[in-house]
Amino acid sequence: MASIHLQDACLDYPLYGAYDFSLKRRLLGHLFRQSSEMRTIRAIDNFSIEAKAGARIGLAGPNGSGKSTLLRLIAGVFPATSGRVETTGNIVPLLGLGAGVNLDFVAADNINLLLRISGRKPTQAILDEIWAFTELEERMQRLPLRMFSSGMLMRVLFATATAFPADILLLDEWLSVVDEKFSAKAEQRLRKMVETAAIVIIASHDHALLRRTCNSIINLDHGRIASTVALDAPVPHHLELREITA
Amino acid sequence: MIRIEPPMIVVNEPVRRPSVLHIFKVYYPDLFGGTLTVIRDICASLKDTFNAAVLVCSRSGGERQIVINDVAVERVHSFGDVLSLPAAPTYPWRLWRRIAEHDLLALHAPFPLADLVFAFGLGRTRPLVVHWHADIVSHAALRFLVEPLMRRTLRRASAIIVSDPVLVETTPLLQEFADKCHAVPFGVDVAKYDRPAAQADDVNARGRLVLACGRLVPYKGFDVLVRSAHARNFEVWIVGEGRERDNLEQLIRDYGLQDRVRLLGSVSESERVKLMRIADVFVMPSVTNAETFGLVQLEAMAASRPIVNTALGTGVPHVARDGLEAITVPPGDPTALADAIETLINDPERRRRMGQAARHRAVTKYSTTAFKEGVETVYRKVVAEEAATKDAGSSAPAPHLQMAGPVGAIRIAAALAWSDMRHRYVRSLLGPFWMSIQMAIMVAVLGSVIGHLSNSSAMARLPMLAASLTAWTFLNSVVLDATTALQGSASLIKDRALPPVIFLLQCTFRQALFAAHNAVVPLILWLALTPRDFGGAIVALPGLALFVICTMALSLVLGALATRYRDIKPIIESSLTLAFLASPIIWTSEMIDRGSTVTRLNPLTHLFAIWREPLATGHVATTSLIYVLACLAVLAVAATVTIAHLRKAAFWI
Repeated sequence: MASIHLQDACLDYPLYGAYDFSLKRRLLGHLFRQSSEMRTIRAIDNFSIEAKAGARIGLAGPNGSGKSTLLRLIAGVFPATSGRVETTGNIVPLLGLGAGVNLDFVAADNINLLLRISGRKPTQAILDEIWAFTELEERMQRLPLRMFSSGMLMRVLFATATAFPADILLLDEWLSVVDEKFSAKAEQRLRKMVETAAIVIIASHDHALLRRTCNSIINLDHGRIASTVALDAPVPHHLELREITA
Repeated sequence: MIRIEPPMIVVNEPVRRPSVLHIFKVYYPDLFGGTLTVIRDICASLKDTFNAAVLVCSRSGGERQIVINDVAVERVHSFGDVLSLPAAPTYPWRLWRRIAEHDLLALHAPFPLADLVFAFGLGRTRPLVVHWHADIVSHAALRFLVEPLMRRTLRRASAIIVSDPVLVETTPLLQEFADKCHAVPFGVDVAKYDRPAAQADDVNARGRLVLACGRLVPYKGFDVLVRSAHARNFEVWIVGEGRERDNLEQLIRDYGLQDRVRLLGSVSESERVKLMRIADVFVMPSVTNAETFGLVQLEAMAASRPIVNTALGTGVPHVARDGLEAITVPPGDPTALADAIETLINDPERRRRMGQAARHRAVTKYSTTAFKEGVETVYRKVVAEEAATKDAGSSAPAPHLQMAGPVGAIRIAAALAWSDMRHRYVRSLLGPFWMSIQMAIMVAVLGSVIGHLSNSSAMARLPMLAASLTAWTFLNSVVLDATTALQGSASLIKDRALPPVIFLLQCTFRQALFAAHNAVVPLILWLALTPRDFGGAIVALPGLALFVICTMALSLVLGALATRYRDIKPIIESSLTLAFLASPIIWTSEMIDRGSTVTRLNPLTHLFAIWREPLATGHVATTSLIYVLACLAVLAVAATVTIAHLRKAAFWI
């Protein structure tokens, strides 16, 4: 059973200046009794949420309000400074698509490597399925990624990243996947993933999008919960599709 | 890919019973005791629905595979007990190998040796049920080492079976997993304790026989019982064997109780049943919460005996309740214990009443059927859940997740390193062999220069020079790579939430692959120029392994440090150059002053010596080995601290 449990979680993000990365400075600072206290910024402030299977949480707020940091806190990238962060279920963080890509490799090898990085054993069947989703020609599998246009590259990366269902799906900005035809398909797939994932948390500036997909929206301000809006069940699909094609 | 699924065969075959592997530290015939009785009863009572097998340790040597009561028991050799744990180094390995053969794992906790296997994420493919027999009470100082392991095991477990609900409330570790805990009280076969004939002497008016049973170990509190007999007039018989025997005998002599207190040693089960029937009072004087239930008091209850037990925070005072079936006294208090015993000795009517109440409770609350059904329900549920998730899994593409735990991290690091190596081949046909050519040229040049410097034959020394250079290149590149590895993988750490340690391990793995390419040069030279002493080469292998492990630990520590403090990187670079010149890597032993302090203290001297000496002479360099092991111990501590601090690495990059 997937669940996310945050209780009074705080995260002090250390602000490392150029000097803070210097061991000499640090040691000399001690010698001359300079205050070597690290400056920190409270990126997440006393944050408590409880999410069980079925939760679709949207995170809204201005830039720097802590949306991405909160997602990383849940994903386990940052340790909480105080409070409790507990999650059960496998987390798929899609906070950036390009991580781990090697442009010199052919597309198939990249897909295999990306699958291995996310702990999956790549097989030919999986590869074929991913490739079918990209709608690219079969022979392009054997081409190095650097020969792909940015749109094609995005298709490959997106198809790989979303090939498997997740218990907990963390999305930073609804991924913008270039050309129009594919973006409709991509959105459909993401929506399907959102439906099969037990818990989804999306950080986005796009309020309309959050209203479409989420059942509650948390407005963040300086790392705190400014307000929480509970929404009814998301509007059925055909409406959204019309919205996209319009 | 063709998957063959022959339904016909499945129909023809009888339905296979799922098999359970019981995991515990010891089993019959090496020992008798409450936990073993429970395991035996589970195996026997569930034999129609589950195939049982037992994997345990044994000191006695003898057969590795034996069959006890139709149950296959595999015994792993143990060298004796260390801190109440069997010293069986191969047990975790054997357990890991056996896991795949069974459908369900039943761990009888506490058993840290098995926790080790589960904590490292091995055996995830099979569902696990933990029978929680007791918390670890002895060696409390070492608890901090074992508790994280136990927590990981419990987190991974599908269900936890305890003997009494109160254990969940009083054990902090179980509270964390309260939703998985199932209370299944042990059962007792009351028919075994039925009296064959007349009931007349059921309660002896003159009776003063006090019985206690259990292994002679400190937590059973038999010393308290012996003390309580002092200056009273009841008789105490203690059934059981164990390491406390000498202490207890000494205690009995000290108090001069030889005529009234007897240690009966081990007795057969039928004998014990008889003793239970003739005893007047049954005492369970246990002093710590290691006693969670007290199966033996339940047996005494089945034999209609009144009980004296202790007020522990476990199921003990709930099985036989104060004032109803027992008198409960504070643990470790000889006077209170003696008073309670005397109260019962002096009041035959009360003994009879309590005995009847005890028997009634054993029959109604603790039947073997209820126990069997309780365990079976949990087992079936867990196996069914596992099958359900497997079915759900097989319909999806192939969601076989290998992510969790150190094993997953190593897998990912290896995959990344493999891809790095392939990257070299993508750019050029020769790939990393370009570096080998470079290595060959370097060896040739240095070999000729040094050959002129010293008198001895340059050709004979070339293989060792090439091997040393290969090893040095490995160490040098691993450490240098590690200083930039985390920054280079920032997006994978921050966007895909991969543990930073993966990328430090990746450096060692990648350079090991490159070193394997470079090793062609020394290998060819060695085969061509020396008499090929394979014995020496084999003796050198452990030293070489130590070399690699030391390099890996060093790269973990320095890699993390250089990421946190950026000014360390240039220091590391210049130190490596200095170390290269100050160590006997290209220099031969005649060219340098072996006695110089720098050479002797330089860890690199010894790190190279541990595998070069065996290669050259066939003998292990003992001093160097000790020096390296000491360095490795320090590095291991530093690496452990580093890995703990790596949680914060995402802030640094």
